[in-house]
Amino acid sequence: MTGECLEISDLITDCDPVTGQRKPVSSTSVLDLLGAAGDQRAARIVARIPTHHGVLDERAVDTLLVRVHTELQRLSEELRLGERMAEALRPLLAAIRSVPDEPIRIVDVGCGLGYVVRWLAATGALGPQTELVGVDLNAALVAEAERLAAAEGLHCQFRHADAFGRAIGGQLMISTGLLHHLRGSRLAEFFACHDQPDVRAFCHFDIAATRLAPLGARVFHQARMRQPLGRHDGVASARRAHSDAALLTAARSAGDFGLALFEPKRHASPFCATIRPVVGVRGDGMDRLRAQLGRRARWLRTPPEVTTQAVG
Amino acid sequence: MAAFLVGVALLDGALAGFRAAAGRSALIGKRHYNLVAGRRGVTCSAALLLGLGAGLGIYVAVSENPAVSLAGLTAAGTRMAAVYLPYALIVLASLAGYFALPLRASSWTILVGLGPLTIARPFVAIAGGAVAVWHSAGFAVPVAAALAVTGVLAVEPLVHWRYYRDLAPVQSPG
Repeated sequence: MTGECLEISDLITDCDPVTGQRKPVSSTSVLDLLGAAGDQRAARIVARIPTHHGVLDERAVDTLLVRVHTELQRLSEELRLGERMAEALRPLLAAIRSVPDEPIRIVDVGCGLGYVVRWLAATGALGPQTELVGVDLNAALVAEAERLAAAEGLHCQFRHADAFGRAIGGQLMISTGLLHHLRGSRLAEFFACHDQPDVRAFCHFDIAATRLAPLGARVFHQARMRQPLGRHDGVASARRAHSDAALLTAARSAGDFGLALFEPKRHASPFCATIRPVVGVRGDGMDRLRAQLGRRARWLRTPPEVTTQAVG
Repeated sequence: MAAFLVGVALLDGALAGFRAAAGRSALIGKRHYNLVAGRRGVTCSAALLLGLGAGLGIYVAVSENPAVSLAGLTAAGTRMAAVYLPYALIVLASLAGYFALPLRASSWTILVGLGPLTIARPFVAIAGGAVAVWHSAGFAVPVAAALAVTGVLAVEPLVHWRYYRDLAPVQSPG
């Protein structure tokens, strides 16, 4: 038994990162992994997913994931994630624009149903000179995001692509709840993908790692989620959350970016309600960001162990 | 007393309707969707209340001593309200905080208020019923309390089962 904490949603789909082609997922292999991790509850959830000749039924998996992500959106709505993102992005956009109203493409990596992208598009919170693009490796989620955006006539795009891909292009990379899915060296590799000439800044929101975060996540997901998979993964994601230092250390792989976490200390919660972004701005952009933030610049935090080796 | 309990039940019904519909539509603009869900909860709650009220009315009318029967039910209702009033006030305060407070502070109202309160709700409902039954004589109060608590707890699953079993269809709002 490894005792490793796993999220079911990471295990029940597999795609070729280059071609985007779906790969069959053996039910037995997933159950073995969960068994080795000692997670019998997750194994029972996976065992209920229909299979064909031992392979998880793709349509059933997609339907399940769309349902779970729809429920997850409720949590994003309650935590006002769109507003939080807009609050962080407005000064960031002003800091990275070389001229006022310069068009900027914002790419939401691992966007799922694209809640943040669609919220930003629906509210116009970032002004007209922003192009909003969501990318996700799961084609079913991308298709649903497109359908939802079309239904409300929103000006945003969604692409089926890998978080590690460099083909999408964009000046500002964002994400919500993606980072804890990236384990080991993949976290640093993800940030290294930002080391492209076009990318001027990034802003990745994720759950803050605290001792009580799993307890908070359990209460919150029990109260708000119906799908057992969503409840399970919600708690697992809190247990897998990266520490501030781990995030900032990994973010150094992005190259010449000034780095910080953006969250007022007085609102730091021991529970998982704290979601805070790691922010990176290329070159000396962090000084411009501080100027844009004004008094809120004191919310930019860099742990001492990272400050000593800070980039930018 | 009856008016207070009916008011609390209808308010709870509206919130139960909202919860029954929550997580079933991923559209951004959901004002109309949420209003409809709340209305469905209120309607369901009102229908159950109507049934309970009619039953209690008949019981009082046909009892040997209607005044004593009514007094017994009123006393039980008062005890019940003593449990529900503080809970309702905390819920309303949390809701007010969520909508009125700044971005981050409003998250706290979910964390320490609305989230735990949702989990506590069935226990509070049962506690209210148990307190109502306490020291009551006869079968009327226990039956009425059991039906009232069951009704309150049934609104959300009923509305969910009737209207929100599946994801909301994606179509242009309005």
